[in-house]
Amino acid sequence: MEAVSLTIDGVPVTVEKGRTVLQAAIEAGVRVPYYCYHPGLDIDGSCRVCIVKIEKMPKLQTSCSTVCSEGMVVSTTDPEVADARAAVFEFLLINHPLDCPVCDKGGECPLQDFSYSFGPDESRMDFPRRVFDGEGVMADVDFGPTLMLNRNRCILCTRCIRFMREIDGDAQISVADRGNGSEIATFDEEGVHSLLSGNLMDVCPVGAITTRDYRFKSRPWDNPAVADTVCTMCSKGCHTSVWLKGKPEWARGSKLVRITPRLAPEINGYWMCDIGRFGYHWVEGERRLVRPIVRGADGAQAAAGWHDALRTVGMLLGAAREGGSGALRFVVSAHAATEEMFVLKGLMEALGEAAAATVHWQRSEKDQPAAVKFTIPVTDAPNVNGARDLGYAVGAGNDGVPDLSALQQAVNAGSVKAVYVVDPGPAGSIGDLSWLAAARTAGRPAVLIVQAVESSPLTDAADVVLPGSAWLEKDGLFTNDQGRVQGASRALAPPGDARDDWSILVDVAHALGVTLGYAQAGDVRKAIAEALPGGPYADVDQVTFARPVKASHWLRTSNPSERWKWDFMFQDLPPVKGHSVQTEQGYVDGRVLPLRPVG
Amino acid sequence: MSFHPQMDYAPARFHRSARRLADQGEPFAFTPERQAAFDRSVARYPADRRRSAILAALYLVQEQQGYVSRQAMRFVATQVACTPAEVEDVVTYYVMYYRRPVGTYVLAVCRTLSCALNGAERVTEALAEALGVEPGGTDATGTFTLTEFECLGACDRAPVVMVNNEHWQERLTPDRVPRFLEDLRARGLAALGGCLHAGAEPGDRAS
Ligand code: SF4
Ligand code: SF4
Ligand code: FES
Ligand code: FES
Repeated sequence: MEAVSLTIDGVPVTVEKGRTVLQAAIEAGVRVPYYCYHPGLDIDGSCRVCIVKIEKMPKLQTSCSTVCSEGMVVSTTDPEVADARAAVFEFLLINHPLDCPVCDKGGECPLQDFSYSFGPDESRMDFPRRVFDGEGVMADVDFGPTLMLNRNRCILCTRCIRFMREIDGDAQISVADRGNGSEIATFDEEGVHSLLSGNLMDVCPVGAITTRDYRFKSRPWDNPAVADTVCTMCSKGCHTSVWLKGKPEWARGSKLVRITPRLAPEINGYWMCDIGRFGYHWVEGERRLVRPIVRGADGAQAAAGWHDALRTVGMLLGAAREGGSGALRFVVSAHAATEEMFVLKGLMEALGEAAAATVHWQRSEKDQPAAVKFTIPVTDAPNVNGARDLGYAVGAGNDGVPDLSALQQAVNAGSVKAVYVVDPGPAGSIGDLSWLAAARTAGRPAVLIVQAVESSPLTDAADVVLPGSAWLEKDGLFTNDQGRVQGASRALAPPGDARDDWSILVDVAHALGVTLGYAQAGDVRKAIAEALPGGPYADVDQVTFARPVKASHWLRTSNPSERWKWDFMFQDLPPVKGHSVQTEQGYVDGRVLPLRPVG
Repeated sequence: MSFHPQMDYAPARFHRSARRLADQGEPFAFTPERQAAFDRSVARYPADRRRSAILAALYLVQEQQGYVSRQAMRFVATQVACTPAEVEDVVTYYVMYYRRPVGTYVLAVCRTLSCALNGAERVTEALAEALGVEPGGTDATGTFTLTEFECLGACDRAPVVMVNNEHWQERLTPDRVPRFLEDLRARGLAALGGCLHAGAEPGDRAS
């Protein structure tokens, strides 16, 4: 790395050659406000709040667009800078409605915080504000399927425009009526139609772009906890953060209020897709299975306790395993974590040739522009590679097509006595199993056991239903399409009597007289590490999982390039001691969920 | 699942923007001659910079249909390889692209300093009254569109009115407005004074 050294406010700073003064200042923890600069987007230099004084340069410079050079002497506190900066802030607020009390960004808004810190204490402008589409929240207008736009709040930083142009690859947003009437617009006012649209809420530094999903739902100070985890809605494995709203046990509504992306340069950068961002409602949805269900002698399903359910499973499967080779079939969703697949494999080995397993998942082509920089894989499941690494037959490559036809033939031929489905993903994510539900109803196979998280036609047809956990309710390993083994952390408790899926499988094994000897998830990971030495799984027993931390703490320690901003914005909250994160093993320093090498 | 690639979306449920859009217009394509003219101008730029020809394309559109409709913007986007939003960005920036049909004569009254000091506002008022329109509007017969403009570079002969972006009338005072309109109606652009020296009267050149 070629380095240059400069001084910012008297502090010597050394940065990589080619970095800008603003980037150097952020790295050094020097307070320079910025709006149009975003580390994931091209530099624009349009908002002017990042101005600094650089010795030997005749005028103040925008630090975001000035590249560091050797020996530069930069001041961010010179009275000349402070004055000019305050003037810029005054101008930014000329037309701003200052409706923070009803604005979704309130509490985590750089415009609030920076204006407060760097702006003048009052405005000299006494003429009426320019207003688009009405006052207050009436100005929130339709901005496509996922977003709302409030032009009155917009500061025209053009981050949203650049995001669409550079990352999405389809420039759907532009500035219309440039000049005094400048406004962010889409052609025909048709709104933003993109699978990456949620990122626009993240890039917008004010409350101009908000998501319908999170609108009016919570405030940053109502979100006491954030958990760092990994998205499991497709094989990309984006790093994400899950925000939990603080509310008493008895209060209605969900705790899970939003999911935001977390910087992972080699996986998802600063972004995530809308499928992962908005597709979490099922986790706390109405269709969650909260108690085991057993079909009684009268043929009707009824809720049961774990003891009865497991005993019934043991009985039914015990009979089926005597049915000869391939009489007991497992269908595993690729939404299952590696631990679960590993335990299941141990069980199958113990059962011998009576048992066989098929992994299944869904695929869908995503409609994305040709120039898109963030592609969403076709595989709608997180752990196809993990299944392959454990020796399950899933075909070659990342985009393989799962195949149940052999199983279906065997079921039709009547050689299959029992089918056990392991499906910890949302209903339908395992693929189309309606034929299996119909086959069970027709009596072949005679036994259908479903371990799932959501009720579906399949669970309706089952003899026993065992409620498992969604990915946000358990620690689990998933191997993404790059072959990275990543840990997704638990953010919530499973609902009702639902349990961790690996432990259900251990108990099912026990009911069949097979002792696997795992008492906790760590034991399973240890066994995986021993079974697959030398590769990416060699040290999975060392993986630490994040626990929900206080939102303010999260904001400080997250995304390093924005970190100073968050630090600063939450400066009035009580300090969080140290930088430790609680884990299963106790406390470790710094970040958890380390990136693992591709291998 | 509540959200998946098939986004459930009923725009009618939400508050719509009140932004005034360009007219929708008829489906648009260049006539063969204009397409040839466009191809000539686009050939002047590197192949990956087709968008450089956007202004030329929009002028050809305006020449063909008198204004730039939304349909035409979509067409131009395909011609210059960018998105309709980017075309709209350009169209709405330049005041000389019209977004809805205009009259035969577009009267642009300068409102910048010299003209303003010399009573341009009164001229606008007189024109508005005579035509029965507000600035920005087109009269009932579709003959005149009245707009206001910034400095036309003829400050020494203020107040100035530009007609159809290429023709001029200088020293137009409110009392001369009726005769100015009459002459335009009767004799078309030939009635205009053009760039004259001090003292010229409307209609002088024609005689
Ligand atoms: S809508 Fe937000 S991101 Fe877009 S220009 Fe306005 S302030 Fe910037
Ligand atoms: S791309 Fe895949 S992993 Fe990333 S957010 Fe979307 S669904 Fe989740
Ligand atoms: S951040 Fe530098 S000009 Fe906007
Ligand atoms: S001010 Fe009217 S032409 Fe210059």
